[in-house]
Amino acid sequence: MTDLQIWVSVLEMGCFYGLIALGYLLVLQGAGFFNFALGPYATVAGMTTAWLVAEHEVPLWPAAFLGLAAVVALSVLTELVVVRRVQSRSSGSELPALVAIAAVLFMIEQSAGLAFGHQPLAGQSLLRTAPLEFGGVVVQPYAVLLIGVTVLVFAATALWIRYGRSGRLLRAVGDGEATARLLGLPVARVRLLAFAVSGVVAGVAGLLFAPKAGLQFDSGLGWTLNGFLALVVGGTRTVWGPLAGGLLLGAVQMFVPYYLGSEFVSYVVLGVALVFFAFRPEGIFVWRVRT
Amino acid sequence: MTVDRTRPAGALRRPPTAEAEAETEAGARAGAGRPAVGLPRAADRWPPLLGAAGLALVAAWAGGSAYHQDLAVLFAVYALIGLGMYVPFVMAGSLSMAYGAYAGIGAYAVLVAQVKLDAPFWLGWPAGCAVAVAVAVLLGLATARLSGFFLAAVTLLFGTAFQRWLVASEDLTGGASGMAAGAGPAVLGWHPGRGVLMAAGLLLVWAVAWLVDRLRRGAWGVTVRAAREVPLAVESCGVRTRALDLLALATGAAIASMGGALFATFQAGVTPETFTLDIVFLAVFMPLIGGLGTSWGAVVGALVVVETTVNLPVLDDSGKLVLTAVVLAVLLVAPNGLLGYLDRTRRRFAPGAVRGGRDGARG
Repeated sequence: MTDLQIWVSVLEMGCFYGLIALGYLLVLQGAGFFNFALGPYATVAGMTTAWLVAEHEVPLWPAAFLGLAAVVALSVLTELVVVRRVQSRSSGSELPALVAIAAVLFMIEQSAGLAFGHQPLAGQSLLRTAPLEFGGVVVQPYAVLLIGVTVLVFAATALWIRYGRSGRLLRAVGDGEATARLLGLPVARVRLLAFAVSGVVAGVAGLLFAPKAGLQFDSGLGWTLNGFLALVVGGTRTVWGPLAGGLLLGAVQMFVPYYLGSEFVSYVVLGVALVFFAFRPEGIFVWRVRT
Repeated sequence: MTVDRTRPAGALRRPPTAEAEAETEAGARAGAGRPAVGLPRAADRWPPLLGAAGLALVAAWAGGSAYHQDLAVLFAVYALIGLGMYVPFVMAGSLSMAYGAYAGIGAYAVLVAQVKLDAPFWLGWPAGCAVAVAVAVLLGLATARLSGFFLAAVTLLFGTAFQRWLVASEDLTGGASGMAAGAGPAVLGWHPGRGVLMAAGLLLVWAVAWLVDRLRRGAWGVTVRAAREVPLAVESCGVRTRALDLLALATGAAIASMGGALFATFQAGVTPETFTLDIVFLAVFMPLIGGLGTSWGAVVGALVVVETTVNLPVLDDSGKLVLTAVVLAVLLVAPNGLLGYLDRTRRRFAPGAVRGGRDGARG
């Protein structure tokens, strides 16, 4: 636990999972729904950028912008075409929406495999300076960017949710959609906004984490599950909860292979999930968990 | 008996889903005097007969071609996994996604029996069922309080962990390269050929689909489905809904493990890559494509899945993508699936057939 280099990795993983979890939280607040397609969104952002740069020699920043735009479009389409229509028909039962989002997840993965190939792609780093070194600990430029942007995104979201007009609307809709509708609040637009913003957050996460993890068309499912776990561990009461959960999960995923062996990561993550899902009282999950 | 006080009272008054509505409507049409659990004769007779005819067609199509036989067995394996998933997912309403693991257990049990224990292959079938049931019950107990997204996430994580375990425990499972049986399966010195094995597999699919359909419409199935819609009401009738859920999970795991065992028996080998999470997603889609109203929907769905993902040369790599598009279209446009759509068309042209049974209306 004293090797600082591992702690840098913990920070990187934690920031990434925290960002995905923040995406979950935004959709949860706005639409009362866990968007399991967030992991694939992140892969699409990273893969579009890497593919444009490597195969079509598009300059880096425009490529990154296009990657983000693609993800926002996907996220908005998910709400408009699938989630809204399925939810409005399923009268409160969440199973149809869950199945639909599973289909969306699988569909984005398969389309990414078809469009960008089934081989792994190397992620493009947006910051191309020399690595920093503090007393033997090497910090790659992408890590600096990832950690810095994460802090910025979380701070901005916290301020927006608390003070911004649309942010307050988001919370109003999340706290009681029926009431918000009754009051004449623009529920459909707020939900769309939640999906769009969460798409940006997931896209940024994928873009900045890609240089560390590499990209494969089917890495989205793992990211979805880890982000979800980070959200549950951190709780949904505050905006900063997901970041705490992400960091905890990052620590588990970095230290377990170091001490126990690589296959234990999935066992320990499963254990963490079981313990948290089963034994944390409803106080930490604001939303209904138990049957 | 425990009553969960966290559930809002409104749950009881929740409007019934389209599926339940169709059923009540059809039940009313079938005659008020008929008990709810009664089995109309037409619904009893036709689906198994049509199913048998369809499976016979598959067998005839496969014929002696080794590739076609592979596909037919793959279809049977998918159909069994889909049927296994049908019980907890469609009937009990809990989306457990550990089905790749259950099928893997069935497959590895057959090969462990042959390779490691030098026992006959068929011993692996009941052993695999038993292990899969035990795992499903343990996992079900550990996740008893979870539903919806939480259950799906935990069971997916379980599937991932199980795959890592298969790779890591080389002594038992042969690690990443998997296991292969030297000789094909033998029963008392007789080596059944590939055609016989394929026919047996298709017969198994027919039997399981028939049994699951009987189960769905029998008293137990009605109770399970009622518990999905109004758990509080069923619980207050003195039924322990948790035990019902566990039993549904165990039944599904046993059926899925038979799918894995069929694969291992026919191919005489298995690797950790055989039953991936992809198959789990496909298994969720199968009943949806075919139609939720009858277990035969899962069989039809399996046929569609094998056809689009493996057999159609036009689709090549894009098979799974096309399939997901089909699933989304079904979810959005025809929530009753292919069989439901066919059934509605049939009713439109033959209004007299309505009296035949209440079952078809569910689609």
